[in-house]
Amino acid sequence: MKICVLVKQVPGPDSPLLISDDKKWIQEEEIDYAMNESDSYALEEALQIKERLGEGEVVAASLGPDRVQKTIREALAKGADRGIHVKDDYPSTDSYVIAGQFALALKEENFDLILSGLQSDDTGMGQTGLMLGEFLGMSTSTLVMETDISEGKLRVKKELEAGWFQWVSMDLPACITIQSGLNTPRYPSLRGIMGAKKKEIKVMESTPQGELLQSLEKIYVPKKTKLTEMIEGDTDQVVAKLVDVLKRDIKVL
Amino acid sequence: MSETSHPVPLIFYLIAALAILYFLFNLRRITAVRIGKKEDQSLKIFPQIFNSLFFGVGQRKVWSVQFIYASIMHFFLAWGFIELFFATIVDMFTKWGFFVETLPGKDTPWFALINDVGGVMFIIGILMALFRRYVNKPEPLPQDTFSGRGNLLGDSGILLFLLIIGVGGFFSEAARLAIDQPETAHFSWIGLPLSKIATAHTWEILKPWLWWSHALLSLLFISILPYTKMFHAIVVILNVALTNRKTRGNLTPMYVSKLMEDPEADIDEISLGASKVEEFTWKQLLDSVSCTECARCTSVCPAYNTDKLLSPMKIITDIRQNLYTTRFSKDKPESLVGGIINEEELWSCSTCGACMEQCPVLINHIPTFTDMRRFLVLSEGKPPTQASKSLENTLQFGNPWGLPSSDRTKWAEKAGIELPLMANKKEADILYWVGCAGAYDSRNQNVSKAMIKIFEVAGVDYAVLGNEESCTGDSARRMGEEYLFETMATQNIETLNQYKFNTIVTACPHCFHTLGGEYSAFGGRYSVVHHSEFIQDLIQHEKLKVSPSVSEDITYHDACYLGRHNGIYDSPRNVIQSVMKNGKLLEMKQNKKNSFCCGAGGGNMWYDIERGDRINVIRFREAFETGAKTIATACSFCLFMMDDAVKVEGKENTVQIRDIAEIVANNIN
Repeated sequence: MKICVLVKQVPGPDSPLLISDDKKWIQEEEIDYAMNESDSYALEEALQIKERLGEGEVVAASLGPDRVQKTIREALAKGADRGIHVKDDYPSTDSYVIAGQFALALKEENFDLILSGLQSDDTGMGQTGLMLGEFLGMSTSTLVMETDISEGKLRVKKELEAGWFQWVSMDLPACITIQSGLNTPRYPSLRGIMGAKKKEIKVMESTPQGELLQSLEKIYVPKKTKLTEMIEGDTDQVVAKLVDVLKRDIKVL
Repeated sequence: MSETSHPVPLIFYLIAALAILYFLFNLRRITAVRIGKKEDQSLKIFPQIFNSLFFGVGQRKVWSVQFIYASIMHFFLAWGFIELFFATIVDMFTKWGFFVETLPGKDTPWFALINDVGGVMFIIGILMALFRRYVNKPEPLPQDTFSGRGNLLGDSGILLFLLIIGVGGFFSEAARLAIDQPETAHFSWIGLPLSKIATAHTWEILKPWLWWSHALLSLLFISILPYTKMFHAIVVILNVALTNRKTRGNLTPMYVSKLMEDPEADIDEISLGASKVEEFTWKQLLDSVSCTECARCTSVCPAYNTDKLLSPMKIITDIRQNLYTTRFSKDKPESLVGGIINEEELWSCSTCGACMEQCPVLINHIPTFTDMRRFLVLSEGKPPTQASKSLENTLQFGNPWGLPSSDRTKWAEKAGIELPLMANKKEADILYWVGCAGAYDSRNQNVSKAMIKIFEVAGVDYAVLGNEESCTGDSARRMGEEYLFETMATQNIETLNQYKFNTIVTACPHCFHTLGGEYSAFGGRYSVVHHSEFIQDLIQHEKLKVSPSVSEDITYHDACYLGRHNGIYDSPRNVIQSVMKNGKLLEMKQNKKNSFCCGAGGGNMWYDIERGDRINVIRFREAFETGAKTIATACSFCLFMMDDAVKVEGKENTVQIRDIAEIVANNIN
């Protein structure tokens, strides 16, 4: 089983998020980068699938400038076998473009399974994994909570709304996106970190292809607002109003 | 003790020579420790000789009021044994015709007297030991006692063997006295009455049998001694002689960053931590060989006493067993970590040091356990599941809670305190190290506020690092995450070295221990003072005027990393006394060096061992029993754990938990 995991490098949770002068991104100088959270669950799932099957290869792929190799190394330290760096110094924020770049770079590899986190912590589009699956003509599924592979078939448990789940069966090759929390990502051992240095990272130059379907217009910090409405009047009026609010506005009654 | 009226037959000397040769041959058992790694400790001639005399021959730590029965038992057994040993040597010399003029003879009155004393002590000691093992049965003492854990004849077999030799010696003596009728026979105060139980004629018949059985059994004992539990009499002297008591308990730095830069290092070959017997140092292995299985470590262990899996003695003897099997047996030994020692045992240790405090033979438990944890974390990537988040947080956020590093001074902002920052001042007399708990934990934030009040009132020139401060890496290091510890240490040393200050003051004994004791190995040499000492000093030098107004009783809970690990017992007590008006400082049953851990040390703050009782609740109950209205602590973790326990027990309205800084801050004007 040849498995690929897309690991995105995103600003770490403890980084100061200051908006850049052109208001289109954040100031990158002060940022400590980290692996996108749901991608780390995808990586763990890939490693566990390989362990369950007792054979296979896990390849960690990431797109971006040279710094993303740190994130690939992190994946290698945890147990991925090799890495692919799709090198693009100015990566687009358009999922369509990125998925296209990945498709071109990964096509030759003929992966049986591609995993990625369900969305990134920075742009939160949630589309790259799916589009990549479509480009490569693979089965796709999203919001996966559990995986089960047997006899060349993949079964996944998907998260639906309101606490509902759904089991879906599909053929391989497949490309699925993983929901955070489905497993416990392993702790990187020093042995793994040291061993990762010896593992191969294949660098593939890449530039955005085709038309840009969407672009970031502006980012901003949302204004914090707090609206408190005081219900006044005598007790009966207050109760009547409160019941009304609970029924119609908050919809808990 | 025996002597024949006719010369000793030559055949005896032949057998004796063989026995001694066999003994010497068997001594090779000790060479098993050579498969261990190099030990990084400096030894100096005088302390080592002192150790061997004081802790080895002198058995200083065997004597313990806490284990009084065993102490008396061992005193009798050991000194009786030693007396008889010397008596036998003297006997041997005089028989060969050496120093006959100067050495006492069998019937020299004082010699006859003390030889019987020696024999009696020896037998009493053995009987006490047998009584203890079969009637008293103190719980953690091993009960499978005839085969056992790598020692021939086990624990009881050797006692019975020695008993036969001891009693046989008296009978042999009685026979001699009955036959020879020396004038000074009445000085043999046991031998003479014993000789009266049979006629001289009977003794005449029995004598050769008694003499030979005593002689042969004694020689047999000598020849197999290295294979029995009695081997400890030799090994312990060696072990304490090779122990540096100043550095005992210190964890050895691994210098991971150097290791990582080393192009020669082969990751598949390199040993990270210890899981196989060859991965321990020879000294750690010698420790295990020295273990007498007295079970004192286990009987004081907070994990064991709350029904967790850990028994320090078991782990040490597991290592010994594995060593002997690896070295001397054709069988393949069961693997250590993950095999005979399971992970939960190792994670149950709170590194409180109670075992090391009690160990009569100076075994270095904590570093040995930590080496196995290092294997689990660094080699296997398997810290306790709950703790891995705290380790990742420490790296990412600089604190185990995973709260933003930019929120480190929020506690002060919220309280309207304007903290003097090192970044602005560049120089200060005191650098106040707030610590992660002091900065992020709401309960401990109050201690930080109390400290600021004390600094301000006493007019101390101080500053804090603010957001530049990071976790010292204490928990990471105890959990075996040496790489993370080293990363944190390097980062903090770099920050600290930018500024000028005389002393670091901290309210957290864990920060105190790492900053003051462990950073020096990475180039950070600072004078670090715990707040208990600092406040005591301010009060003593009248820089801080306290009004003694406490009228309720207070009990003080010793923090392991302040007390046992750093020997500070009096300062926190003095600080509490200084605010007392009518109240008394009450001591718990287990206090000072015998204190019972709160359960949070050794990284246990960040994971739960879901087995047995909660250590903090057990300790809280002990504190509660004193009847004190306040339980005082001097440690961030202890405060947290006691505060948790008081809620679990529903005693919030009866008892309050206070750090000593809070108590002082409440009593200054």
